[in-house]
Amino acid sequence: MAGTELAPAEIQVLQDLTIVVFAPLVSGAITHLGARLQGRRGPRILQPYYDLAKLFRKETLVPEGASWVFLAGPVLAFACYLTVPLLIPVLTAYPLPLGYMGDILGGGFILALAGFAVGLAAVESGGPYAQLGSSRAMTFGSLVEPSFLFITFTVALLTATDLPYFEAAKVRSSFGQAIYPAHVLATVAFFLIVLSDTGRIPVESHASTLEFGMIDEARTLEHSGVPFALLKWGSAMKQLILYVILINVFAAPWGLAGSRQVGSVLLAIPIFIGKALAVGAIFAVIDNSFSKLRLFKITEFMAAAFLLAVLAVLVLYLGGR
Amino acid sequence: MAAIGASPSTLTDAAEVVALLVLLSEFAMLRSSLSRSQVRLYAFQSLCVAVLAGFVAATRHIGALYALMGLSFVLKVIIVPAIIFRLLRDVRVDVTAGHRLGVASMVMLAIALSVFGIVVVGRLPIHSRSLPILALAIATAVILVAFLLVIVRNDVVSQAVGFFSLENGVSVASLVLAAGLPLIVEVAFLFDLLVAVVVFGVLMRVHHGRARTLSTRGLERLRG
Amino acid sequence: MSAIIVAILVVPLATSLVCLKAAARVSRMLSLTSSGATFALALALVTSRQPTAAVAGWLRVDALSVVFLVAVTFLYVATTVFAVGYVRPGASPAALRYSRRFFAGLNLFAWSMTMATIVNGLALLWVAVEVTTIVSALLVAIDDTDGAAEAAWKYVLIASMGLGIALLATVVMYYAGSTVLGGSYELSYPRLLGAAAHFPHQIVRLSFGLAVLGYGTKMGLVPVHTWLPDAHSEAPTPVSAMLSGSLLTVSFYAILRFYQVTIRAIGPNFPRELLLVFGLASLALAALYLASQRDLKRLLAYSSVEHMGILAIGMSFSAPIAIVGVLLHVLAHAAAKATAFFGAGSVIRKFGTKDIGRIEGGVGALPWSGPMLLLAILALSAMPPFGIFRSEFLIVEGGLSGGGSALPAVLVVFVTLAFGGLSWFASQTMLTPTPDGVVRGEANAWMPASMVIGLVALVVLGVHPPPQLSGLLQRAAAELGAHR
Repeated sequence: MAGTELAPAEIQVLQDLTIVVFAPLVSGAITHLGARLQGRRGPRILQPYYDLAKLFRKETLVPEGASWVFLAGPVLAFACYLTVPLLIPVLTAYPLPLGYMGDILGGGFILALAGFAVGLAAVESGGPYAQLGSSRAMTFGSLVEPSFLFITFTVALLTATDLPYFEAAKVRSSFGQAIYPAHVLATVAFFLIVLSDTGRIPVESHASTLEFGMIDEARTLEHSGVPFALLKWGSAMKQLILYVILINVFAAPWGLAGSRQVGSVLLAIPIFIGKALAVGAIFAVIDNSFSKLRLFKITEFMAAAFLLAVLAVLVLYLGGR
Repeated sequence: MAAIGASPSTLTDAAEVVALLVLLSEFAMLRSSLSRSQVRLYAFQSLCVAVLAGFVAATRHIGALYALMGLSFVLKVIIVPAIIFRLLRDVRVDVTAGHRLGVASMVMLAIALSVFGIVVVGRLPIHSRSLPILALAIATAVILVAFLLVIVRNDVVSQAVGFFSLENGVSVASLVLAAGLPLIVEVAFLFDLLVAVVVFGVLMRVHHGRARTLSTRGLERLRG
Repeated sequence: MSAIIVAILVVPLATSLVCLKAAARVSRMLSLTSSGATFALALALVTSRQPTAAVAGWLRVDALSVVFLVAVTFLYVATTVFAVGYVRPGASPAALRYSRRFFAGLNLFAWSMTMATIVNGLALLWVAVEVTTIVSALLVAIDDTDGAAEAAWKYVLIASMGLGIALLATVVMYYAGSTVLGGSYELSYPRLLGAAAHFPHQIVRLSFGLAVLGYGTKMGLVPVHTWLPDAHSEAPTPVSAMLSGSLLTVSFYAILRFYQVTIRAIGPNFPRELLLVFGLASLALAALYLASQRDLKRLLAYSSVEHMGILAIGMSFSAPIAIVGVLLHVLAHAAAKATAFFGAGSVIRKFGTKDIGRIEGGVGALPWSGPMLLLAILALSAMPPFGIFRSEFLIVEGGLSGGGSALPAVLVVFVTLAFGGLSWFASQTMLTPTPDGVVRGEANAWMPASMVIGLVALVVLGVHPPPQLSGLLQRAAAELGAHR
């Protein structure tokens, strides 16, 4: 086994499989940990798998007047979430062939396309809360975009490319890089973006059923059966993908496989999942420490993320490094 | 501080992060709605400035700056907040009187001002041996945002804290540009600040005595 | 000579400290002697031809300092005379407390302004100007009214922000100097002026711009003058006189010190253009606002803004005679503005209001102060034979001889506009018949006496300035680079 090398295509498939298989695990672990922090026993860590299995067996209902878009949306979103892991450093430190297909901006576009598909399906459904959630998600999503762009600029200024692999390599190059101010700012800004994109406190309360506060969660209210399963799975995958970018590009890009050896690649999987669980634990702690912002104050939150991203670019403009 | 010779860039990076904290606390002051938290943020900002003074003292081996660091710590982190806290306790006011623009608009405007300040400084031919040029750019941004704070905020405590944070910004600028200023001059500056704080405190009480509130919304009598 | 400087340093400060505790009569007499002595000491310095240093170089007096020192100390004397009559002695504890605070504050204020003119170096200059802000803010608030509280808060806030910018300007100038003078020096004038030719240009430009903006806030340059009308109108009249007459000029002195260094570093063009812009804005805005004023002291405050604008414009003219005119204007404006404020104080006391619409027949009601106030207003509008006529004449002549007649013409137009506003006020309030309910006669002899002092000084400056004074002005103008 020691000398076997995986072909690049196989590693790419393995990256996708990692995300698909382990996304519900991370989601379940965060929910479990959050419940424990509140003093409850909480659901099983593997509960999301059981939920998905149950949903695959249920019948699909479509609202009257909804067209094929209602059913196509979840499928398209899932397809997008399957595509993005091909572009980002999930398991390996070196770029894979398809990794050059899209850079950070490309990955961002595909994620946005997925969100757009889900939102469109929600509007198609005609249900008031779904439409409410959809419009809110679009609005706040667009407020996140400038921050995301500035973070991309930071990466581009640091590495003269905007491929995530090279950013990761730069951070790994020395310990001092980790506390480099522009890097710290960009990481914190991206952390805030992840927080808002995965629908966590203080932007949205992930597990509540209070419709007036829902943004992302409300979009899936009208779906059922297999499309609903795809949506839930897709949102867990999106969460894990964002964690991938946060961890393996910005915060802690160590432990990625340096070669194509089977052993090192397979070892990268539990290392990555461990890091993802650690980040998830941070989010769970934040969930239990702060209260949800009122809707009109979310713009302040976005402004704070934007501020950090702008400062990151300015620091680089001045520092010249 | 044995790491100085080994990795100067790490120390400079740490200094840059502290300088960034100064600017971020300025932004936090801008949006804060409780007077007490504004004062605490000012104390935190002054602490960061004192730490920066320590950096400069260590890297440039200027012994006098250690004394300055200690003095400014005592004055700006302990005495000034104590004076304002005493005032707040006496007048029993907690929530600031609000601002003329919405918070998000204020933050956007503040971001624009900071960008302007930082870009302008980036174009100047300044080479400092004490702190990275980023610290000067941040000081300029802090000064501009402090002006915004004073203009937009409607109560005397916010305006006073805004003025004090402006002085913090000028202190950081002087650390970058004028680290070698004779100690006696620096002490004169600090003493001046202390007296100014006392006078500010007196006038805040006068204002509260007449207007029964810390808000400046009623200061519209004198016009034209 | 250096003993004189030390005496100037010590006397007003000591007087102020004594006045904190002394009885009313004692503090009044002490203030009078102190102010008279300080003025005499300042006059003694007029004839010295070399800069004098004292206290191990922390203090230094050259021709430029003496010009402003004379202005400040003259105002100190006149204001003290007026204040002795204005602050009515009373037996109640509140009146005693007021009187003690007032005279202590007055002497301390005068001390801080004289300090600003005699310290050596930009850093100490900043410290002195900051002290003037602090003391004057307390004095503005000393009358316990809503308006005074509002004006004092605005004043201390805006002026302190401006001085923060001025501190930044000082630091930037220090940096410019450190490229030549090394890492640690004390910003004294001789060292700065000696090395200024080698300072980096862009840095010096930045420093001068910040200095004009920062110290210009205290000088009353538009657009950072917004505290001025409020503070000058709500403060007690003696304080208003000192604010208008000497505090604004001390801030101008600070700008002039930066100007001195800057022209040696980068030549006169940039400083002159910058001062021209601010000066024109101040002159134009003040002239326009003058016409619409209803409050007597606010009117005089805007007149101060106008004259500060004239000073800035005068500095922007390239002929040496304009600079001599500017320095003479400093002296003459101090005397004229003080006299005008003293008269206004008497009028307001007599009629019980600051509202121009409700004051009628000043000349009849106040047989001494009324006509003298009229003369002071005319003096402010550059009427001969008073000093301001001579100084503005010199400035305009300098502008015309320097080439280009557009700017002097604009100057004259706005000054005429201002004259229109002031003369309308004069005719409304002074020259109308006195209404029946008003008691005729002066309150006491001190207040008109101070006006006499001011008017005599104006006539002397206008008709025949003593040759020692002319020599002093020439030397000071030379220090400001008038021969370039």
